[in-house]
Amino acid sequence: MNDKASLVVDRRTDYVIEARDVVFDFGETPALRGANLSVREGEILAVMGPSGSGKSTLLHCLAGILVPKRGEIYFSGRRLDTLSDNERSALRRDTFGFVFQFGQLVPELTAEENVALPLLLGGLRRSEALGRSREWFKRLGIDGLEGRRSGELSGGQAQRVALARGLVADPKVLFADEPTGSLDSLTGELVMELLVTAARQDGTTVVLVTHEPRVAAYAGREVMVRDGRVSSLVPDMHAP
Amino acid sequence: MALALAVGVAMLLATLATINALGKENTRGAWLATSPQGPRARPNAGRQVTSEASSTKVRPLWWFVSSDQFENQLIVRVDVASSGARSLVPPGIPRLPGPGQFYASPALATLLRTTPANELGDRFGGTEVGTIGPSALPSPADLVIIIGQEASTLAKVPGAGEITSFSTSSINGGPDTLGTTGLQIVLAVLALVLLFPVLVFIATATRLSAARREQRFAAIRLVGATVRQVAVISAVESIVAALAGVVIGFCVYFLLEPALTHVPFTGQPLEVGDLSIHLLDVLAVVIGVPVAAAMVARVALRRVRISPLGVSRRVTPRAPRFYRVLPLLAGVAELAYFVAVGRPTYSNGQIVAYFVGFFLIMIGLVIAGPWLTMAGSGVMAKRTGRVPPLLAGRRLSDDPRGAFRAISGLILAIFVTSVSIGVISTILIDHGSASSSSPASKTVTDQFAFNSPNGSVPAVPTAVLASLRSINGVTGGTLVYAAPTGMRTDGKVPDINGLGGSIQFGLVSCAELATTPALGRCHAGAKLAALGDDIAFMPVMKSVTIAASTIWPTAQITQTLTGLPVQLIAVATNGSAPAIARTETVLDGAFPFASTTTLFGEVNSGASQLLTELKTTSEVVIFASLLIAGCSLAVAMAAGVSERKRPFSLLRLAGVPLAVLRRVVALETAAPLIVIAIASAAIGLVASDLFLRSQLGLTLRLPGATYYLIVFGGLAGALAIIASALPLLNRITRPENARME
Repeated sequence: MNDKASLVVDRRTDYVIEARDVVFDFGETPALRGANLSVREGEILAVMGPSGSGKSTLLHCLAGILVPKRGEIYFSGRRLDTLSDNERSALRRDTFGFVFQFGQLVPELTAEENVALPLLLGGLRRSEALGRSREWFKRLGIDGLEGRRSGELSGGQAQRVALARGLVADPKVLFADEPTGSLDSLTGELVMELLVTAARQDGTTVVLVTHEPRVAAYAGREVMVRDGRVSSLVPDMHAP
Repeated sequence: MALALAVGVAMLLATLATINALGKENTRGAWLATSPQGPRARPNAGRQVTSEASSTKVRPLWWFVSSDQFENQLIVRVDVASSGARSLVPPGIPRLPGPGQFYASPALATLLRTTPANELGDRFGGTEVGTIGPSALPSPADLVIIIGQEASTLAKVPGAGEITSFSTSSINGGPDTLGTTGLQIVLAVLALVLLFPVLVFIATATRLSAARREQRFAAIRLVGATVRQVAVISAVESIVAALAGVVIGFCVYFLLEPALTHVPFTGQPLEVGDLSIHLLDVLAVVIGVPVAAAMVARVALRRVRISPLGVSRRVTPRAPRFYRVLPLLAGVAELAYFVAVGRPTYSNGQIVAYFVGFFLIMIGLVIAGPWLTMAGSGVMAKRTGRVPPLLAGRRLSDDPRGAFRAISGLILAIFVTSVSIGVISTILIDHGSASSSSPASKTVTDQFAFNSPNGSVPAVPTAVLASLRSINGVTGGTLVYAAPTGMRTDGKVPDINGLGGSIQFGLVSCAELATTPALGRCHAGAKLAALGDDIAFMPVMKSVTIAASTIWPTAQITQTLTGLPVQLIAVATNGSAPAIARTETVLDGAFPFASTTTLFGEVNSGASQLLTELKTTSEVVIFASLLIAGCSLAVAMAAGVSERKRPFSLLRLAGVPLAVLRRVVALETAAPLIVIAIASAAIGLVASDLFLRSQLGLTLRLPGATYYLIVFGGLAGALAIIASALPLLNRITRPENARME
């Protein structure tokens, strides 16, 4: 985190991510209408909701991709939404990890190069980056696929490679947007098991957007986004 | 697509208009290539002939064309004489000048008015009766004079004769006085070379546009369209877009046409009226471009399989094989072979040998391009630890054919122009005209080799020699005599041009030769020396620079020099412009039809002027090719970014700075351009060196700073065009654009 960000007043250190009264709209279409959400460190949170409810928009606001029109976003007690675009980009690159539904792998690169990408961007040497990348192939049960391109991987394999890429740089928070949305149920379950296991082992906080209850069941807590507002489905046992 | 095509069409029209303009210049100057020995000549003097074109009887015209020189400028002199009333009249003048009268081109008329008569005007004598109209001059700056003579005077001049009509094309034969034949042919070739990058640009724009529609075509297939129906839709869309591009392209061309006249294609601006597009050109563009666009779109779609479920491509594209480099290596090896063992003896053999060599290299460059791209980018991707070169290298090695395709036109243009510039620069430097302080640039020579019977004059009148001696600034002079039969020499006469063949000797007095150091010197104590025909007969290449350091073999003859015919007069001066001009004027006045007066250092000035014009044209073509390649690459880059919109957007979304992606795109676009441009220029210079060594015995002299400025300036321009498309990357890959629903 840079100096400017560190000057922001620490509000709630027990939450790693917090959204307060967040409002966002796409032109005339409101997406979030005063959403509130808190995520504890190491927690795996599922954000559920029907299509168009605003759950992906909420994830984008929490990750600093979108800046809310009103309201506040905090990361580790520091104000995130007031950071500049470059500062938010740096935060995403260095502190967050991402897994999306599909199409996130760079087609020209091999699977291991795709996984090593965040490390290379962080300035790690190529051999070291590839070495750490290969460890994740073993960990996620996809060793042997290191040299393949994205077009040569099945959907499940590609998602596991994407998961490895999301986790390889030891992010504090992993944002997963419908990570099993393009997979069959069995493969989806496998990916979720791997995601949850890896996150728990490393103590990574996960914010998981999904509309499938089976996927949400892997989370420790579920919230529902409806009409741009967040409501708790499962009580937060750790709430003060 | 329409916009990119519009730019391509405008470039195509500009190229065609330039070719047409050069053709018009050629046609206007064609009458100067009329020859009494040509097909329209009247071999038998004095007989009346009937014009082929009309029933009106037109009498033939006595005709003699020669060239002169004034301060490094070429003057074309046309001597004419009427063979009676209704004699043929050259174009550009209202009537034939009578004896003692002349018409001059406006530029020469100005020069005559502003130059002392004993430096220029006295060469021609007579009175100016008017100026030659622009319709008879290739360029307003050309120096041309039409001088009236008595028919009886011209009847005695070797090479003069009667003509019944004027040549309408300089290619028809006859004296190539302005060097227009060679110039026009080579200019046309160079202009055609410019068409390659233009056509590649149009093809690139069309192909990438077709590729962008793939997803939509997949949706159309999903609702039941057959592959053939999709192909038809694609073709129709391409034709419609191409037609729009053609219309806009014509508008762009007409807007830019005035600026085009400032392009110094031949070293001089083009005439506004000369730039035109023929009906055939219009039809070719209006019909050809849309048809070609449809064909290119069809080919582009064949590269992918469009199923109802989407577009599938080969996951691992077949890599180009090493054998692609073989034709290129074979071409270079062939040229190198002639350096090692010598060129073919006969000119036909030489033409075939060099044509095959250069053709193999040109084809080889195009065939080897994808392999070279793959090899270079593969190394870059494997070795680097940084993200931009890794992504760019992988992208290029993944589809080297696609990466190379956008610049395949450029490689040919740069190769051809680099060869021409390499050869021309070397010849120009070897002429020795560069050094203004050398004796050659201070020595006036008058050769009788070409316009006199037997290549000589019987004697040089004493009065002429006295006039020459009286000129302030003349420091010496040498008469080169035709060697008499029975002359013996004490050694082999040097063949300084290395052209072989039988040598016809000249003979000089060593006392005179000592006063004209430009021609070489005698052995110490010798009285007479034998000169090779390089000096007296062959105004080419090396003689100018090598002659000065040549020691000619001593000659022995059984008679005196007096009475021997004279092949050449050399007059040494102090190098001042008036001294040189007055010397030339005296010699021209003394031998008005028999001489070719010029500075020894500028003995090839006609050829030099031609070569300089070709060099300028080559430089213009290089510059334009690079800019066009920049346009092709900008379009290709935009398409490449669109194709990777999703992974790039998601990378940005994950925090990858835009600058990194910008570097990726810039690198994968600019790296092939820079590498291929420099490689093809280098291969062009190597090929020209091999040609120069084997054919002319010269070693390549690297082109001057202008060449490098043009190449690097063109590259900078191309990179600027590519950079202008980079903001697109920001728009297309903006994180908020990536919707993951």
